[in-house]
Amino acid sequence: MTGTSVPRLAIRGLTKSFGGVHALSRADLAVMPGEIHGLLGKNGSGKSTLIKILSGYHKPEEGTLEVDGRTVPLPIPLGRSEEIGLAFVHQNLGLLLEATVLENLIAGDHARVGQWFVNWRAEAARARRLFEQHHLDLDPWATVGDLSPVKRAQLAIVRAADRVGSHSEHASPGLLVLDEPTPFLPIEGVRELFVLMRRLKETGVSIVFVSHDIDEVMEITDRITVLRDGQVIDSFNTAGTSRARTVEAIVGRSLSQQRLVHAAPSTSAPAVSASKLSGRIVRNLDLDVAGGEILGLTGLIGSGYDEVPRLLAGAQPASAGRLAMAGGAVHDLARIRPADAIAAGVAFIPADRQKLGLALDLSLTENAMLPMAARGDHRFLLDHRARQAKTAELMRRFVVKAEAPQQAASELSGGNQQKLLLAKWLQLEPKLVLLDEPTQGIDVGARREIYERLLEACAGGAAVICATSEFEQLELIAHRVLVFERGRIKAELRGDEVTKSSIEAACYGETRTYEHA
Amino acid sequence: MANAGYQLERFGLIIVWLAVIAIFGVLRPETFLTWSNFSSIFGSEAVLVIITLGLIIPLTAGDFDLSIAQTLTFVSMLTAILSARIGVPIGYIIPIALAAGALVGLLNGAITLYFRVHSLIVTLGVGTFLHGITLWMSDSQTISGVSRVLMQYVIIQRIFGVPVSFYYAVVLAALVWYALSYTAFGQQLLFTGRGREVGRLTGVAVGRVRITAFVVSGMMGAFAGILYTGTTGSANPTSGTTLLLPAFAAAFLGATCIKPGRFNAWGSVIAVYFLVTGINGLSVLGFRTFVHDLFYGGALVVAVMVSQLVSGRKERTL
Repeated sequence: MTGTSVPRLAIRGLTKSFGGVHALSRADLAVMPGEIHGLLGKNGSGKSTLIKILSGYHKPEEGTLEVDGRTVPLPIPLGRSEEIGLAFVHQNLGLLLEATVLENLIAGDHARVGQWFVNWRAEAARARRLFEQHHLDLDPWATVGDLSPVKRAQLAIVRAADRVGSHSEHASPGLLVLDEPTPFLPIEGVRELFVLMRRLKETGVSIVFVSHDIDEVMEITDRITVLRDGQVIDSFNTAGTSRARTVEAIVGRSLSQQRLVHAAPSTSAPAVSASKLSGRIVRNLDLDVAGGEILGLTGLIGSGYDEVPRLLAGAQPASAGRLAMAGGAVHDLARIRPADAIAAGVAFIPADRQKLGLALDLSLTENAMLPMAARGDHRFLLDHRARQAKTAELMRRFVVKAEAPQQAASELSGGNQQKLLLAKWLQLEPKLVLLDEPTQGIDVGARREIYERLLEACAGGAAVICATSEFEQLELIAHRVLVFERGRIKAELRGDEVTKSSIEAACYGETRTYEHA
Repeated sequence: MANAGYQLERFGLIIVWLAVIAIFGVLRPETFLTWSNFSSIFGSEAVLVIITLGLIIPLTAGDFDLSIAQTLTFVSMLTAILSARIGVPIGYIIPIALAAGALVGLLNGAITLYFRVHSLIVTLGVGTFLHGITLWMSDSQTISGVSRVLMQYVIIQRIFGVPVSFYYAVVLAALVWYALSYTAFGQQLLFTGRGREVGRLTGVAVGRVRITAFVVSGMMGAFAGILYTGTTGSANPTSGTTLLLPAFAAAFLGATCIKPGRFNAWGSVIAVYFLVTGINGLSVLGFRTFVHDLFYGGALVVAVMVSQLVSGRKERTL
């Protein structure tokens, strides 16, 4: 890139494993001064492990790290990365929304701002100069919560650059790691961030840009490094590389698994249809699911696919939308409450089973029988014997391994908790089952059992919608898959088209808009 | 299912209580260990039992009702004024007083929910405000001369030598126990406190449950206020102030026994009588009033420490 040959950041042979599995294996990475370097890879490819090693969160087993030619001992002590010359901006930006721009800028920066006295006037003047220098229109006294998402991202990035510039022990402009700062920004916002990134680059700052969005990475970066299964697959100059080559490096060639579903369900009439659905990300979406069909929803992070189950269940109010159940009433999704959705035959199994799915310190019986208690069955005389017997029966049917129905849910493994959660909802024989990441953090055996129960529910005529970022899962169980991008459906895959590689191709594919027939 | 350690934990407080009785009994057999001493403890502390039962309902739903003691004081004063000054018959006063308590609960619940303020702050403010009204309407004076009919049905009539107020408390405890253990509402209350989002997503109307809990605790506070006036035949504008802390201590201490890890009715009753037995014994030994604060304050802190230990371990329930 530049004339000097000493890289800002040089990583060699970095290795880290969790429970015997390599999350990162002999990874090399070099970033030159003033270079914007894209880091690409699927979920679980090792990107986050690499970043967590750089921020001092993980201790690698092997490997070396050099910054501006100086060897940095690993692991990096937590909270010391800025002195070494590294700063991080994560997707959540790490800003306190209730505080002002200025307070966020100097928060925790005791090295420069005194422990006992803050000269707010001087700090505000300094902040103004900093913003001017980067051509940013930010008011130091504004509350961060009132800023647009783009301005918040700009503030977080400038703060990181400022910290690293003023703290770095060797007066190096430093390196910023931007970890997925863009998925929730509108396209114009992404442009504004790119302008800021280019300005920083001109001042000699190096940037590692982590994103799922290939088009963005191709546009802004000088070089790209691709990780897959914990290994660096390829590293190349962006200019002169085709998009296709990049996609292939990310995706690789994957072997198909044995599908558990084959033909589309015989009933053709939709059991459930949602129309004109809009949420925070999803815009004007129409979708139908037939009874006995498993519909997969997927896309890259921030594409909005995971919002759909929440909107349909009344867990998150939609800004607009209608839900029609075959032979039932039409529900206004802007006003529907969870109780209404449940009464209409909808079951929603949220991704965060520990916070939203089960009350962990209550018993298995109480958790499994909650839908009935919430509805007010046996309002004035709960039959504890019957409740326990029913729970024990569900535990047998759903293969929940536990000592007794009186046990606290917290004592079960993740897989067994998920099976209990499935039992809690499927016992109601819902017409529509909504799942959000149903197998997150669950071992292979329990996954199988969960798929089997879902297929049973399907065979019983239920319509199933499964939102997941795990493409293999969709290949196994989905009859049909909708791929999302920026809140809209980008591609629809049916039958034999539902394979991991075609879903990947659709996710990373170039089509920005797809007219859903 | 039953193992020795768990059973010991369930009945631990009762054992400690009996031990306390035994110690004071040995030290002062002629004054402490008499039926008249115990019947007076049972009768006069019924008010504290009812306040504690009132507290555990919002506590189970994850809310604090710090206004309950001031609801008691306010309703106690209202009862005294209506009876002694205006001459309203007791039969009319009781529904008015209960309605006043329900209104306080409704106010607590509405502010907590609609403005999304923590119940701790809301009820602290509402309680203090009520105390202001109480002082205002009584001109900071004790009001006496309440109809004897009320005293008749609270303290004068005795069953097995124990004033009837004790039996009111027992009946209420049974009702609260039943509601928490055997009704769908009890389960809704529990999930509202322990897994509010889980409850909401499963169709529990968590907002309505929380408001109901506040209304019930307001009414229990009001009922305790009526009994308080009935116990002495008068109302004192600062009477309830000293009851709040003992009630919290008993609620948390009660959650360490019978159904360890959960606020429960019988645990609360046992905890109240354990605490007042301790205080009574210490005063029989000649300690002065400072011992109340030492004992109640200490018990609250110990109780929350123990319940933290309990919740960190296995919990077994129906």
